Amino acid sequence: MSALVAPWPISLILEPEVFIPLVYPGLVVLTLTLLGIIWLERKLTAKVQRRYGPLYVARKLGGAAQPMADGIKFVFSEQIIPRNTDKLVFIFGPLLLFTFSILPVIGIPLSPGYTAIASDISLLIVVALVVIAPIVLLMVAWGSNNKFSLIGGLRDGYLMISYEVPIILSILAMAALYNSLDLIEIAEAQAGTWGIFLNPLAALAFFAAMLIATGRFPFEIAEAETEIVAGWTTEYSSALYMSNMGTSYTRMYVMAHLFTLVFLGGWNPLPGFLPASGLLPGLMILVKSLAVMGLMVLLRSIYPRFRVDQGVRIGWHKLFTLSMAAIALSVLLVASGVWG
Amino acid sequence: MTKSRTLRHLRAIRTGVKHLLFSNRLTCPYPDARQMVSERYRGMIRLNMDKCTSCMLCARACPANAIKMYVMDGKKLPGLDYARCIFCGFCVDICPVKALEHTTLHDVAYLDYKENQFPPEKFAEGGKDPYYVPGGVVMVEIHDKKGLLYKKKAVEKEEKIVKEEIEHVSKEGTET
Amino acid sequence: MRVKELGKDRRAETITLFIGPQHPGSGHLRLVVELDGDVVVGIRPDIGWVHRGVEKIAETKKFVQVIPLIERPSIIDSANMNVGYVRAVEKLLGVEVPDRARYIRTILCELNRIASHLYGIGIFGNMIGTSTIFMWSFGDREIIVELMQELTGARLTYSFFLPGGVKGDLPDGFEEKLEKGLRYIENRIPEYNALFIENPVTEDRLKGVGVIDREKAVQIGLTGPNLRASGVEYDARMVGEYGAYKDLGFKPVTRPEGDSFARLMVRFDEIDGSIGLIRKAIREMPQGPIMHERTKGMARQVLMKVPEGEAFSRVECGRGELTFFVVSKGGDKPHRVRMVTPSFRNLIGFETALVGHRLADVPTVYGSLDYFPPEADR
Repeated sequence: MSALVAPWPISLILEPEVFIPLVYPGLVVLTLTLLGIIWLERKLTAKVQRRYGPLYVARKLGGAAQPMADGIKFVFSEQIIPRNTDKLVFIFGPLLLFTFSILPVIGIPLSPGYTAIASDISLLIVVALVVIAPIVLLMVAWGSNNKFSLIGGLRDGYLMISYEVPIILSILAMAALYNSLDLIEIAEAQAGTWGIFLNPLAALAFFAAMLIATGRFPFEIAEAETEIVAGWTTEYSSALYMSNMGTSYTRMYVMAHLFTLVFLGGWNPLPGFLPASGLLPGLMILVKSLAVMGLMVLLRSIYPRFRVDQGVRIGWHKLFTLSMAAIALSVLLVASGVWG
Repeated sequence: MTKSRTLRHLRAIRTGVKHLLFSNRLTCPYPDARQMVSERYRGMIRLNMDKCTSCMLCARACPANAIKMYVMDGKKLPGLDYARCIFCGFCVDICPVKALEHTTLHDVAYLDYKENQFPPEKFAEGGKDPYYVPGGVVMVEIHDKKGLLYKKKAVEKEEKIVKEEIEHVSKEGTET
Repeated sequence: MRVKELGKDRRAETITLFIGPQHPGSGHLRLVVELDGDVVVGIRPDIGWVHRGVEKIAETKKFVQVIPLIERPSIIDSANMNVGYVRAVEKLLGVEVPDRARYIRTILCELNRIASHLYGIGIFGNMIGTSTIFMWSFGDREIIVELMQELTGARLTYSFFLPGGVKGDLPDGFEEKLEKGLRYIENRIPEYNALFIENPVTEDRLKGVGVIDREKAVQIGLTGPNLRASGVEYDARMVGEYGAYKDLGFKPVTRPEGDSFARLMVRFDEIDGSIGLIRKAIREMPQGPIMHERTKGMARQVLMKVPEGEAFSRVECGRGELTFFVVSKGGDKPHRVRMVTPSFRNLIGFETALVGHRLADVPTVYGSLDYFPPEADR
């Protein structure tokens, strides 16, 4: 691709430092994925529940334009800012939260050599940026001046201490297995077998911790609708509410990409029609991430939600032990010479 | 009940995925298709002005005081207020000459409060479909594995549905 | 977050939360909850949001016109409400219901009980987060509602029982459709089992939550499946003289634990029991008239004058025991109609079951008590 002569706007966009944050896995594909994954969640849940789901907006496509119609409606409804809230936090908090949620994509490579930050600790950078976001959520929950928001924000704070450690430990287990903290090397090392088959314990611990981190069922605790109205987003309406909903799905999008790169081989195995470098191997990453996201939204229709103390207990009893066992398994595999 | 937790998780996920792939939908896609109801269905009521003897028993029976008598050409005839009617059918049961009968129409939605009050002439028409249903009428069948099946209208039609559709079609002047 | 432990010179404060009528998990009820951190230290229900004055309006309607009125408070369970009032009026009139009418009443009441329990299970599932059970139970309830529409002509507001008998007989082909519908409900119960009852998350949320033990349940006056889930074997169908329960050999189901899970399971067991009762009633249905001679014809019902007296009747609704007290002064309108609904009696279960539990247990106990606000407020 880079050998072709192109006018300067196109070659500017195709540079990795611009393409990755802007197009894929950045803002453009994120917006399209948000519209798609919300529709997919509603349709999958509706089929399990024996009804139709969205049907009328784009009739021939099965209601696929419904999230776009909802988004347009949200933009045009009235933005209510209650009187006694902390206005700076109330307005800018969600936007800051959204920014922090999308920030980790800068470390995600699309193929060997096509990456925005060329660093040999890119895995650590991505994980660090992923776990930084919930602090802002506590700020926003306090600034809303509502008891339900406060309870929701505090619940998210409790869960924060229960999912961060299993995420970091299971990532470290895989890093120990591949002997590198660079996402490109980790993806290349899975050309033969994927990480999920080598260390399924780490994959399970990461998947469950990912469910807690993004607030997916059965861990939809911070926004438990029948207990605390809408959790930390209770006082929000219109465009800021749309941003809050988007934040939740954005975190799921980013963590699904991380899961794909570390456990599902990233762009490996590469099919014959895709070149081995440039930005086209990103298609494989996109397909696998969408599959992971699809599984996460399907769990909505199967599970009730846990209580907050049960969620924290699962994070510390089960996921912590599981990730420690994953580290032990990795060390065993490396030390016995089976891998690496 | 003493099965292990992992096994129960897998069974729950398996049931969910089975329904995702192999289940039928229990909902009738109204207004694309309208459900046929049984012959006893208590829908909107129709008056037969020739049979009515002005005994006023229907007005006395109505629990919601929805029936009011109107004087037309010296004869008293009942009119119905659909904003009050609860479709209990007491007036139909009590009429000694069987001048009132239920139709199977149940789409009682009007734009204006005044359109809800049916004087005897409108009462004799028995209410008409507010709009044309594109998919037609579907029959509901109870199935022991699938629940409800919605089938396109069979060849043998209910007399009331046929009468209403012919009236509706002849008013519109189009082919069915 | 224990405020007490933060410092000795800070006052420990509790948060007062209004889980009010404008809340996705409260229905038409306000719960004033005092929270110490995440633990409920006090709860007070605030009712009356759906009060419509049913008892007062009943004094202005004729005896048979009261029937659609008293059905409406618990519209998902309307056949059982209907039968309660009609039994009281029959005692005042002194008429005896023919046998075939009693069996038809039993069939409709038990079908309605299945629909009402499915409704309660659906709302319960929705409150603990699984909207799948909400949609499934309402979808399955649709089959029962279709059957009742075949029989009576209406989906929810039957008004099918009149003093002296029932309004109509079973239509042709009803027995086959009924059998298919019941078999469908039986085929669905294992799926509810796999997805909801045996789900480990459900078990964590429900087991041990909101325990009301046997003596406490009798002392505070709980009723219905909540009472039977605490081990007390009492059901108004055993003692009431209505329907054909004595002829069909009815036995109530109980569970000993008294927690939310037991209350859920009693409802599933009662669905099984009702299916058995309906099948037996269809098999053993006697032939004969469906209405007593003295009250035959709607004109007689509307114009009759009920002799002076007082009558008391007791029936088992889906949510518990419903009692009617009807006073007549010899006219064609009742002097007083007093109804005590089961949800009103179950309200005290909130205060008993929830103190000491967590905020997230409030919807759990609400759903397990199957509290229906319009029924309690009348």
